[in-house]
Amino acid sequence: MKTYFKPVTRRKFLKTGAAGGVIIATLPIWKLCSCSAPPSDFYVNPASDLSKETLEKLIEIALQKGGEFAEVYVEYKVDNRVSLEENKIYGAGRGVEMGVGIRVLHGEKTGYAYCDDLSFDKLKQTAEVASFIAAEKEVRQPVGLKSSKIPSYYLVKVAPDSIVPKKKAKLLWKANSVGRAYDKKINQVNVGFSDVNKKIIIANSEGTWVEDVQTISRLFVSISAIEGDKRSRGYAYKGGTLGYEHYDLKLAEELAKDACRMAMAMLPAEDAPAGEYPIVMAKGRCGTFFHEAIGHSLESDGIRKKTSCFWDKKGKMIASKITSLADDGTIPGARGAINVDDEGTPAQKNILIDKGICSNFLYDRLNAGLMKAKLTGNGRRESYQHYPIPRMTNTYLMAGEDDPESIVKSVKKGIYVARIGGGNVTWVTGRFVFSVPEGYLIEDGKITKPLKGIQLMGKGPEALKNIVMVGPDLEIWGGGTCGKDGQAKPVSDGNPTLKVSKITIGGAKV
Amino acid sequence: MNYKLLAENVVKKALKLGADEAEVYLENGRDFELSIRNGDVETIKQATSKGMGLTVFKDKKLGFSYTSDFSDKSLEEFTKKTVQLSLVADPKPWNGLPDFKKGKIQDLDLYDSSISEIPNEKKIDIAKEVEKIALTYDKRITKSQGGFFGDAENEVIIVNSKGISYSYKSSGVGFGAGVVAGEGGDMQSGGWSTSKRHFKDLDAIENVAKKAGKRAVEKLGAMPVPTQKAPVVFDRYAGGLFWYGILFAMNGDSVYKKTTFLTDYLDKPIASKFITITDDPTIPRHIASVPFDGEGNITRKNILIDKGVLRMFIYDTITARKAGVEVNTIAGRGGYRSPPYANFLNVVVQNGSVSREKIISGIKNGFYVTGLRGIGTDIPTGTYSCGASGFWIKDGEIAFPVDGITLGGNTLDILKNIEIVADDIDIRGGLNSPSFKISEITVGGKK
Ligand SMILES: [Zn+2]
Repeated sequence: MKTYFKPVTRRKFLKTGAAGGVIIATLPIWKLCSCSAPPSDFYVNPASDLSKETLEKLIEIALQKGGEFAEVYVEYKVDNRVSLEENKIYGAGRGVEMGVGIRVLHGEKTGYAYCDDLSFDKLKQTAEVASFIAAEKEVRQPVGLKSSKIPSYYLVKVAPDSIVPKKKAKLLWKANSVGRAYDKKINQVNVGFSDVNKKIIIANSEGTWVEDVQTISRLFVSISAIEGDKRSRGYAYKGGTLGYEHYDLKLAEELAKDACRMAMAMLPAEDAPAGEYPIVMAKGRCGTFFHEAIGHSLESDGIRKKTSCFWDKKGKMIASKITSLADDGTIPGARGAINVDDEGTPAQKNILIDKGICSNFLYDRLNAGLMKAKLTGNGRRESYQHYPIPRMTNTYLMAGEDDPESIVKSVKKGIYVARIGGGNVTWVTGRFVFSVPEGYLIEDGKITKPLKGIQLMGKGPEALKNIVMVGPDLEIWGGGTCGKDGQAKPVSDGNPTLKVSKITIGGAKV
Repeated sequence: MNYKLLAENVVKKALKLGADEAEVYLENGRDFELSIRNGDVETIKQATSKGMGLTVFKDKKLGFSYTSDFSDKSLEEFTKKTVQLSLVADPKPWNGLPDFKKGKIQDLDLYDSSISEIPNEKKIDIAKEVEKIALTYDKRITKSQGGFFGDAENEVIIVNSKGISYSYKSSGVGFGAGVVAGEGGDMQSGGWSTSKRHFKDLDAIENVAKKAGKRAVEKLGAMPVPTQKAPVVFDRYAGGLFWYGILFAMNGDSVYKKTTFLTDYLDKPIASKFITITDDPTIPRHIASVPFDGEGNITRKNILIDKGVLRMFIYDTITARKAGVEVNTIAGRGGYRSPPYANFLNVVVQNGSVSREKIISGIKNGFYVTGLRGIGTDIPTGTYSCGASGFWIKDGEIAFPVDGITLGGNTLDILKNIEIVADDIDIRGGLNSPSFKISEITVGGKK
């Protein structure tokens, strides 16, 4: 869908339209890399030729019009994918991209320019273009670059980029044969493995100079089932900042079975009822709800511009007392794990809601500076073609104390959300909507019939107050690709079993 | 650099390295965007970029790679790797480049050379003015999400080993604004924009700004309504998202795999007789028009749904061969980073003859949808369920704003229940629809 408006600028216009971010768990994937068995062409890349002196020179040029802060972001990215459908390896694909983005900050102003040509002349031009955002007589001297060491949160021993597609294809074949054999009603099995390997260098006028090698990988199984005129879909995946050692035939089999189970369970699904109901969310599979419906409204850009529904809520009670929310870029192997954000700030754990009280926001450098707040490690960008904005990493509802079984038992008539799908939220109002690819009716405390066409609707601030039970069984799982201001970024999320006392359900049945 | 020559050389090189067929899709362009907030420049971003995607077939096996690194050494390695990648795939009899009908590329007037000469000062002034007018539209408008201006130029080149060597240049330019209105603890955002191929074709600044302001203010105080069945009017701008669901369900690959609810509906009525839908990327100067599609076929107008009857699924060449159908293929392309795939390019739902006002005035109790949250249609089952906002209609008039409700039903029932189509289409993007009325849908809200 992206292409229709090309080359017209831009998704920026869409942002004025309506909704905020969308998590699309099923789309081609992003990832990052840190490797003990380096693939040759990934490490010997042209971006590695940019010396400390070149970076310092570019920063100096970027500041020549009097800007307050300058930064150079260098990226080299290789992505690989191999996929299977209709009992055949469809194909293998590979992409290589590199480029440099140069940013100058001046008060509330940002100048940004990028190029995909690493010759010094082109880089110099790029720095000059970015510099024009300022027009001051006085020019600042940048601090000399000092390289810094950072801890790693990636679980990568074997770089996926070093594994030949033929070997990855074995995982696909395994999932395919398990899926095909599961039930006669299974009519399609699609499997894909993808990995993104990215090397980034960040250098700025305050002396920061860091490099990071990031890997994100994922094995995805999608199943279709058919019976008469009834159709359904199931899916399962494993992914994260993970090396190839985390994938084997046993995992492929488990994922295929889980996807088949979901497709078969949803095949007889009935229309969902419309109206207001209590809902129970299954552990680990509903974190997207907190990412979308709450997390985006706690990003500092909307807070500073007062366009978020939480802009004036710091220190105030915004949720029930049993509700605590965190964003943590340091969870090892999680899809949203980062050693540093895309401005060079080390990742950390941030508590955003502490026992119901709004305790912190997510900051990038620009907004932290203007709001005189501490950096939180959430300045992230899709690529060198984008400037950083405040973004989530791994976002989750923290564990509580209610027994998961009694949470379901407490509902007389309601909805059990086994897995939440894509959603979006309008940040100004906090209004959200989510699809539910796997959901069931709860009757007299028991999970009964499967339901199709469930939409959860409501307002983030209201839903937070209606969280009435939270289990201890927190699970952080999966994740997807978050979209904001036209930038896609990998994230993960999580939640324990929980109950929301009422939420509007959209469905076909009155 | 002569990029067409470069593309031709890569195709030649791929054949030399053992490919049976090869195609290069190359893009090269520049982008500019700026944003204003509260009268000051907030961001200015500009850049040039390029990239190419290489598709090869060897022994009916597919390989695909893309790169933004055009140095000789890298391209050599890139081409070699792509041919090697094809060895991993399984052979499929339908793999291969399209069989081209010879033709001439139409000049659709998609490029405005004057755009690159607009000085930044003028762009800044436009963005400032659109923001300013939007902010002063109503005194309840309290905050700005910004004024925007952007422009871009792009060249697309497609070269393949069957002798196709096409290119076209296009431009795009646009501006818009977003504002927030507040009253009694409620906040609502609204925005509007215009984007065209030619600078001269842009909507007036004042109209865009006022529309942004109006869209924020008119939603103030929006609330859910009780759950009920009611007639619903989809506004022309909201209706587009509804049609996305239908069009995705018409994807030829999903039909072949029987994963869409429309699988068995070719040449059968799926909508009321008032519905005719075309795909027409040949409208001159239009923002969604292109002279050739994602695999190099010269574009033409196709009728997808004719008076309610489904006439065509959407195929690219490979999918059509696989399914064994002879059709006009429509191939999309997500830029140089992806191979072609079946997709529509510029969908136009045909106008009816009744004004939107007249449709609304004929409704005693119903819902006028101006915002949809998602496409709503579940492709496998055809279940429709979608978050919506808009206005409640009482005795033929707009009574109060509504938000936080859902529309639910069966997509085929909804299509058949389209009673009236309005005459108000505004062709401004890749999916264009007039307003239309459904006789009854489930509106899910308060108990
Ligand atoms: Zn998001």
